[in-house]
Amino acid sequence: MSAKLRVGISEFRVARAPTVLTTYGLGSCLGVILYDRPKCLGGMAHTLLPTPRPGVQEVRLVKFVDAAIRLMVDELVSQGASRGSLTARLVGGANMFEPLYAPSEDSIGARNVRMARATLLALEIPLLAEDVGGSHGRTVEFDLTTGQVLVRSVHGDDTILTG
Amino acid sequence: MTFDRLSEGQLDALKEVSNIGMGHAATALSQLIGETIYLRVPRVTLTDIAQVPELMGGAERVVAGITLRILGDARGNILLVFPRESAQRLLACLLRRDEPGPVLSEIGVSTLKEVGNILASAYLNALGSLLHLTLIPSVPMLAYDMAGAVVDSVLIELSQAGDLALMVETEFHGVTPGAEGIKGHFFLLPDPASLGFILEAIGGAP
Repeated sequence: MSAKLRVGISEFRVARAPTVLTTYGLGSCLGVILYDRPKCLGGMAHTLLPTPRPGVQEVRLVKFVDAAIRLMVDELVSQGASRGSLTARLVGGANMFEPLYAPSEDSIGARNVRMARATLLALEIPLLAEDVGGSHGRTVEFDLTTGQVLVRSVHGDDTILTG
Repeated sequence: MTFDRLSEGQLDALKEVSNIGMGHAATALSQLIGETIYLRVPRVTLTDIAQVPELMGGAERVVAGITLRILGDARGNILLVFPRESAQRLLACLLRRDEPGPVLSEIGVSTLKEVGNILASAYLNALGSLLHLTLIPSVPMLAYDMAGAVVDSVLIELSQAGDLALMVETEFHGVTPGAEGIKGHFFLLPDPASLGFILEAIGGAP
């Protein structure tokens, strides 16, 4: 039985096999998963917003997609991951309530996803799979032994993101 | 106005004002379903945004969440949360169904939104006339999903301004507080910039 580590809101965690990293109830929040398969070392972040507003000094940087990815990469590398073998998967970024104020491509969820793709591209980390968008919540389990990412939702079947 | 500098007196004032608003909302709900609705004393909590889903009974619990934006003199959000069973019972009662039916049918969604609209309007009307503020509810929006996912969309707006949420929470339930009744949580989440304004209207400003 592998230990389950929970990733809270505005938080990231880095772990190695045989751990399972999990985060519950992602709505418009975005879960970012990074994995170094050869070393069975990886991390998961639960982020809320794309980037800090200009000119605002932010205390908790992990709240932001861009900063969380960069901090998590640094942490993984400092724990022995090789920068070149990191791969990414994305889960979440939904638009939970009907798009009343903004069309769905302007929703926070969609902006979070776009930010993550851009940051990963800039860091040259391949994005292997994603289960994003829509209007439903997601719970994620990331098994560091197999590298498998299991996405559960209330309304439909489970999805497995291999990477 | 920052949330972490509120005095005891200001918190009490918020509680009292919310209690009056909630009293009106409960009367509306009880007239709607023909059952007495009981209110708990409201709780005013200043909490880390990351902890909010836990306060609702866990991030994975399935809930019906109805949210409305408060427009007018003061801004913020209202969030009304019914656990799955309560949402089903409420619909059975309002739609005169014998068996608990699906929440997400067209009539189910529309009914729950209307309940949200009635409760929020009653609440805001009472608050507005008490404080001499014009408070207008937006069109209600509904999500029926994991509590964490329902809440995060509402909290994200707050989190742009800081890491703390001020929640004025009232729990209400029908005749039997046990498993059979209808229960729910009503949250008032004022925008940080509007809080000073609300407190000033109450007369509790420092």
